[in-house]
Amino acid sequence: MINQKMRHCARLSAFMFVAIGIMALSALPAYAQDRDRLLDIQEIKTPKGITAWLVEDSSIPVISMQYAFKGAGAVNDPQGKQGLAQLLSNTMDEGAGDLDSQAFQKELQDLSISLSFNSGRDHFGGSLKTLTKNSMRAFNLLEMAIMRPRFDDDPVQRMRQSNQSRIRGSLSNPDWVAARVLNDVAFEGHPYARNSGGTLSSLDAITSDDLRAFHRAHLGKNNLVVAVAGDIDAERLSVVLDNIFAGLPDVDIPSADDVAVQNIGKIAIYEKDIPQTIVEMMKPGIARNDPDYFTAQVMNFVLGSSGFGSRLTEEIREKQGLTYGVYSSFYNLDHLNAMAVSTSTKNENVPKMLAAIESEFETMRDGGITQDELDDAKAYLIGSLPLSLTSTDKISGLMLSLMTDDLGVDYLDRRQSAIENTTIESIAKVSKRLLSPDEFVTVLVGQPPRDTLEWLGEIHMVETLPNVE
Amino acid sequence: MFTRLLPLFMMVLAFPAFAAAQEKVYNASETTLDNGMQVVVIPNHRAPVVTHMVWYKVGGADEAQGHSGSAHFLEHLLFKGSDVIGGEPLAPGEFSKVIRRMGGNDNAFTGQDYTAFFQSIPSENLETAMRMEAGRMRGAKMEELESERLVILEERRQRTDNDPRGRFGEQMAAMAYINHPYGTPIIGWYHEMEQLDLAATKGFYDLWYGPNNAILIVSGDVEPDEVFTLARDIYGQVPRNDNVPERVRTTSPVMNSKTLVTLEHPVIREAVFQRLYRVPSFRQDKEVSLAMQVLEEIMGGGPTSRLYKSLVVDQKIASSAGLSYSANTYDDSGLWVYANPLPDTDIVNIEAALDAELRALIADGVSDEELSDAKTRMQDAAIYARDSLAGPAMVIGYSLATGSTLDDVETWPAQIDGVTAAQIQEAAKAYLNPDAPRDIPPVSGVLLPKADLAPIVSSEPDVAPEHDDAQNSEGETE
Repeated sequence: MINQKMRHCARLSAFMFVAIGIMALSALPAYAQDRDRLLDIQEIKTPKGITAWLVEDSSIPVISMQYAFKGAGAVNDPQGKQGLAQLLSNTMDEGAGDLDSQAFQKELQDLSISLSFNSGRDHFGGSLKTLTKNSMRAFNLLEMAIMRPRFDDDPVQRMRQSNQSRIRGSLSNPDWVAARVLNDVAFEGHPYARNSGGTLSSLDAITSDDLRAFHRAHLGKNNLVVAVAGDIDAERLSVVLDNIFAGLPDVDIPSADDVAVQNIGKIAIYEKDIPQTIVEMMKPGIARNDPDYFTAQVMNFVLGSSGFGSRLTEEIREKQGLTYGVYSSFYNLDHLNAMAVSTSTKNENVPKMLAAIESEFETMRDGGITQDELDDAKAYLIGSLPLSLTSTDKISGLMLSLMTDDLGVDYLDRRQSAIENTTIESIAKVSKRLLSPDEFVTVLVGQPPRDTLEWLGEIHMVETLPNVE
Repeated sequence: MFTRLLPLFMMVLAFPAFAAAQEKVYNASETTLDNGMQVVVIPNHRAPVVTHMVWYKVGGADEAQGHSGSAHFLEHLLFKGSDVIGGEPLAPGEFSKVIRRMGGNDNAFTGQDYTAFFQSIPSENLETAMRMEAGRMRGAKMEELESERLVILEERRQRTDNDPRGRFGEQMAAMAYINHPYGTPIIGWYHEMEQLDLAATKGFYDLWYGPNNAILIVSGDVEPDEVFTLARDIYGQVPRNDNVPERVRTTSPVMNSKTLVTLEHPVIREAVFQRLYRVPSFRQDKEVSLAMQVLEEIMGGGPTSRLYKSLVVDQKIASSAGLSYSANTYDDSGLWVYANPLPDTDIVNIEAALDAELRALIADGVSDEELSDAKTRMQDAAIYARDSLAGPAMVIGYSLATGSTLDDVETWPAQIDGVTAAQIQEAAKAYLNPDAPRDIPPVSGVLLPKADLAPIVSSEPDVAPEHDDAQNSEGETE
């Protein structure tokens, strides 16, 4: 758990001391740990070559495992079979080995095991959560799902229909529509522009053989990373991991191209008969391994990632009452570094809203931030870390995101010192680099007053939703 | 934000059970201050943080007629300047900024029966948060009212008016709760929200807010005694509010007609069938409520539940199907049954299939195996419920604010353990029987694509459980 160096927590550190003592005596596979770190992550390399991070905590009899196959996500979906990775994630837990779909799900339910798969744009992954008392069978079921999924016709068809249903149901949700248009416009020409959830027709085109082939080609031992938190020790975990994953082959996944934000300066409008326009904007951002990344995070906290207290919220929501929410964020994928702004406002206020966002970007680009703002941001960004470590899921999820981005076990510590070392001068520099207000591609879904927007950029009317039907 | 969170918490709430019947689920301690404020502490030493919540036993259902949305508007205005016990008053917006500087997060949400404010912070800052929260219990300034009204109108557009399913859900609740305040949306009707003024909002605040109508819940790296002492020192300084009235709501008349709410809309691409029954809450009828919770687990709890297995897996007429019930409302709760037809299935057949399952339940009851499996799952879920900082505080808050006691929450496993197959069958017969009239008949709802635009296609159940206005919440956004 969290080291006592950060906060007092006598009970926990006593436990850690005992736990470490026991582990030091055992003959263990190679792992390393450092008690001075913010989070006591044990790095594990199993005899059969699986890489895992572990934060051990037996205060609650729960084990949470999250893992990812790097580069195995929806970015690999063929154009005509968009949604392939997604459908794979929906069907791998629908029957495995000698258990058909209902038998497999019934065991999970009766043993209170959460076992599911997920596919992101870049990575394919999954999570397992179990009570310690049922963990033996849980790991066994996971091994079956990973190594021996069945892809029976019935459940594949059921999951296909469920995805098609989700797509149809989403069409009345303007936020979903805006995200769809944004992906299409901002990543034009790149696989990221596709619909990772599939289209109504592409889902029909996917066969059980497609699922098997994708599974075989993308889920490998060499692109696997595993994060575990909870009631298990390194020795047992090492054995468990080899039992589950060691039978996987090595895979060779061709890397996708990098992509820069496309259609900068343009405004894409999708007209919808609703009272409020959804506004999604995107511009070039900064890589997670860039030396200025943490400085940029501090800057963005002041600008708009933090809700109340951020400049965007204070000016646009609190002073002008233009919206219920306005946020800026960094959006980083393996092949993309972007910055986004997301908000909504009643149709007639769209010009005011866009002008206000532009003005806040300009003001910070030209004037940076104040010492008070910097101090407040540092206090929050450093002080709030323990809040992200209050459950086994949160801990394993945080570790997995560090692993998929190759950020290292010392990341949280590097983050803290980098934030501490940020100055208003370093922020001014990174603000100049990142906050140019004329680098946005903008998506509007609703009924914005088109004639008052032309000063902002070239308007492009979206007639049909891309990659939906 | 919080409408999305709530169904998850409600699920946890529907589950909290524990294997050993005698053992308490959360090991919480409680006391009551001299001014009437209830205090609950849930120690959890996994990380050096606490969640500090104050729940007021007042919500949308307690508003004066014609002032819908005032409970929620007030919740927003309590961030617009307030006193601090033993400190300088806070300017509008400053509350959240102070919490942020501590490395904490804060927010608030409003339901029909409660309004709650919370901060998650490093435990050493608990006292400061208490001084601030106690200060706004009676000392709110409510500045910047005009710009905040614009914000809640945008919130309504975002949550409700921008998707036709939003108003559809409102209309179903309005039909199910005729002459009862749960039929009015928490966010408020647009035309009434436009008119909310300082006098109405201040009047509501002066009437309902005070320590004797509030519950303090602290979960995290603290010991009960230190929290009790702090609470006495700080919240103990806030005087009782003797204006707080009894919670008396108007009730629904006896009716004799079934209601069907339909919406055909061009942006709806898939049909949805749902039905909303009024059934007792835990406060109203413990035995029926406990039976309904187990019934929910058997009929609607996931991919091996009866409804999913029958309509989706075996008959292949729906893409999803389920049933949901929430125990924690002050007045009549809502039980939803829903299914989403596959493209080639007529919605009439969906309704018939759901009714057939209800008839089978009423005729034959549940098996011993179904019953014991359901209980085991519900008991296991209690262990997971403890794997969280704010979760236990939320569960206890919902329960206490709607008339349960801490003991009800802590001993829930034993109560669930006592539910019999006969009780489940009896509850189904009394409240869910398709063949017997009820004084307050269920309301059915059908969403349909506009016929000339697209064929009827399948759907997912997000309309049903999440638009349950009886449990709905509106929150400050983050």
